[in-house]
Amino acid sequence: MQLSDTDLIIQAQKGNQNAFEELVYRYDRNVLSITIKYANNEDDAKDLYQEVFIRVYRSIKSFRFQSEFSTWLFRITTNVCLTYKSRSKEHLKVSIDKEFDDDENEFSTTKELVYDGSSPEEISSDANLGEIVNAAVESLSPKQKMTFVLKHYEGYKIREIAEMLNCKEGTVKKYLFDATKNLRKKLSPVYA
Amino acid sequence: MKHNEYKQLLQLSLFGELKSEEQLKLKEHLLTCEECRTELEDQKNLLELISGKKKAAVDEKVLSAARYQLRGALRSERSSNNILNSIADNIFQYFTTPLKYAFAGAALLIIGVVIGGIFFNKSSQTEFTGQQNGDNRFASLSEDISISNVRFIDSDASDGEVEFTFQASRPVRLKGSINDQQIQSVLTYAMLNEQNPGSRLNSINAMDAETPVQYDNDVKNALITVIMTDENPGVRREALKLMSKFPYDETVKQTLLYVITNDTVSGLRIEALNSLIEAGSQGYKLNQDDLNLFRQKLQQDENPYIKLRSRTILQEYN
Repeated sequence: MQLSDTDLIIQAQKGNQNAFEELVYRYDRNVLSITIKYANNEDDAKDLYQEVFIRVYRSIKSFRFQSEFSTWLFRITTNVCLTYKSRSKEHLKVSIDKEFDDDENEFSTTKELVYDGSSPEEISSDANLGEIVNAAVESLSPKQKMTFVLKHYEGYKIREIAEMLNCKEGTVKKYLFDATKNLRKKLSPVYA
Repeated sequence: MKHNEYKQLLQLSLFGELKSEEQLKLKEHLLTCEECRTELEDQKNLLELISGKKKAAVDEKVLSAARYQLRGALRSERSSNNILNSIADNIFQYFTTPLKYAFAGAALLIIGVVIGGIFFNKSSQTEFTGQQNGDNRFASLSEDISISNVRFIDSDASDGEVEFTFQASRPVRLKGSINDQQIQSVLTYAMLNEQNPGSRLNSINAMDAETPVQYDNDVKNALITVIMTDENPGVRREALKLMSKFPYDETVKQTLLYVITNDTVSGLRIEALNSLIEAGSQGYKLNQDDLNLFRQKLQQDENPYIKLRSRTILQEYN
């Protein structure tokens, strides 16, 4: 019979490594899926994945069952993602010289690679289009990007995202609306 | 409801977050509002464009590689904790035997300065007071001890007393068999924590005796940690070399695979690969996960020799 999360956590808290690994394997696919879409780079995504579970390993003993394990895990995941600094800047399609724009609550980029005036023929190739979309998503602020990834790519409910980010549902909606607004601004020349 | 609020409902509708009554309200509004219909089309187009990035499932190979790296990191985390606890236990057991009680105070002070700060979060501090130790309280502080970081708790001598803390350290000379557990403990600690890479390297080499050595299990765990985490390739290489003296088992195999997958120095990857091939020739088998790793190396590694050897391994197992 399969052990419940609670049983595995209790065992892991007592130092049972197999129980910890079993717990990891129950959820790590979802964690990796989030980190891949957030980091947009496999190496960084694997680093983030590792960082998440190392933090879980270090703090599993302090888990007090006040929330679902998955909620706690995904909260750690979003925290790790939001504070991550890419180890390889080369993959970034946008300039790393980002400046925070308080009015727009978004990161503006000093180098606009989102739409560079390419001809429709050039844009229409899948590779170019993919790069432009990636760059647009990358240009969002970390929280806008996180909520957008969780909602649009991972299909979580706004209520669940609010739990992960430890904020109100209204705040998540605000991030989503802002993300969509910014993406439209960047991508409208491509799809309009 | 204001027009802008309908625009927000539009988005929530596309995200599948509307309640049925809100959905109905929006539907009614769309029948009469041209602007919102255009807005809806525009947002649909945007989401359609972006959905190209939506991937159904995580690539199994990436997941497998991530799990592999995580296992290595967890092992490193565990061995690091075990080693520090074990060394601390060893050293403190040694110094607190009743016969050496008198020496323990000074020794604790020295250990606190030399290594205690890294063993423990709280700094160790030995308290000397006139009431407890009388005039002999400084007897353990001989001439070769250097004193630093004098900090006053009470520097006002108006009542005839002052109180302060300080750090004292002195060189400790240790000579003994490499089979001695204390010697191994100190060298193990040094290979993990010495700041100078030369000292870390020497600590590893010191254990690489030509005569047969009975290594403590902590040494093996420390070597694995060094191989996986030391920033200096020379230190990692020596650790890899010393590890080849340990009997080949699952832990050794996992460490070698970790090096092959993660080490940035191709020479070390080759060395680990050769060790693995050598073990294979002695009858040790690789499982499907390991073979997947070689398939990945075959495709991704920039080093032609590693590609070639990976291909050889895969051919041998097919």
